Amino acid sequence: MGLSSLNSYSGGLFSLIYSAGPVAKAVMLILLIFSIISWTIMFVKFRQYGRTEKEGERFFHAAREADSFKKLITIYRESPDNSFYRLILACYKEITKRQKENNPDIKPETIPIIENAMRITISEESTRLERRLSFLATTANASPFIGLFGTVWGIMDSFREIGVRGTTSLAVVAPGISEALIATAMGLAAAIPAVLAYNYFSGRLKRIMSRMENASLYLINLIGK
Amino acid sequence: MREEAWYKMLIISCAIHILILAAFSIPFKKSSKRFDALSSYSVNLVGQLGGGGGSTGAAKAEKSLPEAKPAPAAPARVKRPAPVKKPAKEEVSLSKKKVAAKEKTTKEELSRLEERIRDMKKRADYLDVSKTKTAGTGGKGGAGAGAGAPGLPFGSEGGGKPLDPATQKYILDIWDKVKSAWGVPGMTYKKDLETIVIIKIRKDGRIVDINVEKRSGNRIYDESILRVLRAVDPLPPIPASLNTDSIELGFRFLPGDFS
Repeated sequence: MGLSSLNSYSGGLFSLIYSAGPVAKAVMLILLIFSIISWTIMFVKFRQYGRTEKEGERFFHAAREADSFKKLITIYRESPDNSFYRLILACYKEITKRQKENNPDIKPETIPIIENAMRITISEESTRLERRLSFLATTANASPFIGLFGTVWGIMDSFREIGVRGTTSLAVVAPGISEALIATAMGLAAAIPAVLAYNYFSGRLKRIMSRMENASLYLINLIGK
Repeated sequence: MREEAWYKMLIISCAIHILILAAFSIPFKKSSKRFDALSSYSVNLVGQLGGGGGSTGAAKAEKSLPEAKPAPAAPARVKRPAPVKKPAKEEVSLSKKKVAAKEKTTKEELSRLEERIRDMKKRADYLDVSKTKTAGTGGKGGAGAGAGAPGLPFGSEGGGKPLDPATQKYILDIWDKVKSAWGVPGMTYKKDLETIVIIKIRKDGRIVDINVEKRSGNRIYDESILRVLRAVDPLPPIPASLNTDSIELGFRFLPGDFS
């Protein structure tokens, strides 16, 4: 057996985590929870936004074909659970309210009231779509620091250990530091997807909101017809 | 979003995390010995044999040893370092003739030296030594076999002829240097492990060959030994008085040696 032999070693990430100190373990657990939650949010938002965008497409397609507001509503009755439907519904409710007050024709002065109702709906929808997106931003910002805390703590611990044991050889120093660094690695692993996802979803949300505003203008035009 | 969708996504997310963690642990297995050695907080236990003026590192270590190692820690071998303090005495201790010369000085010193000789003999159980000259190719195999036999006190050259004091001293120097550089990996500290390594040293002190005669079965432990042998590589050159081109030494590493 030569000098370079005995290089293959068993063990891995799990043993590395297992051999870490209690603080590092706690940090890693927190980061894991952060990561799991942020990924869950990513999946949920991806589906939610996808569905909303699809509904937007459907709205504009239907609006182009429908020549009156009532026709548009009949198209939308089949799929009630989406943002664009709620927008139309808000508009419709406002109109029916006016009509009940013995005004079969919509007067120009009622238009701003309908507009406001739709604006409120858009704002509510925006809040609903935005909900929990802030957790991604929190993960993106906080998890590297949490990881860093674990690392700093681990390095402190390993240096103290070195002091106690009385050796400074790299073989003694390196393992403790390496063990500690895994906390930072996990922090970054949680943060990077969260940053990317947050930016991606923010962009998408902005697009959806602008589409909803366009849709509200479209509805106003339709009411006039 | 509906509740069940959240649960579903949470389960998917957990599954992905588990998969990623599992995927990360696979390549680690192949590539990194570092990660295994991680938990091995090694202890630098300095020269116990007190080989004397051989290497500067060993000499330094000896000086710091008596203070560094308090008596209550180790049951059997703690007293050992006491006579190691002065290198001059150690030289004397290596041969009985020189011990006799010192006898004249004080009885107290003599008793200390005798204690040291006894101690050395005891420790010699952990040290297998065989010597060979590279000129004869046939001799190598025999020497290797001699070294491999565990439990042989040093001084057995093939047929059991005792080694001369100069060789003994040189070997002790090397053993000292190796031991002072070797930190027993923390996790293997209390285990019953034994590794026998045969190294071949050139005249200039360079290690030209390392053979693991017997593995302990614990890779971390074996690796720590190989690492230390690599670290101490330029050993003190073979003294001219030995009149040999190369020397083969067998070392037996027991973690208990350091407890």
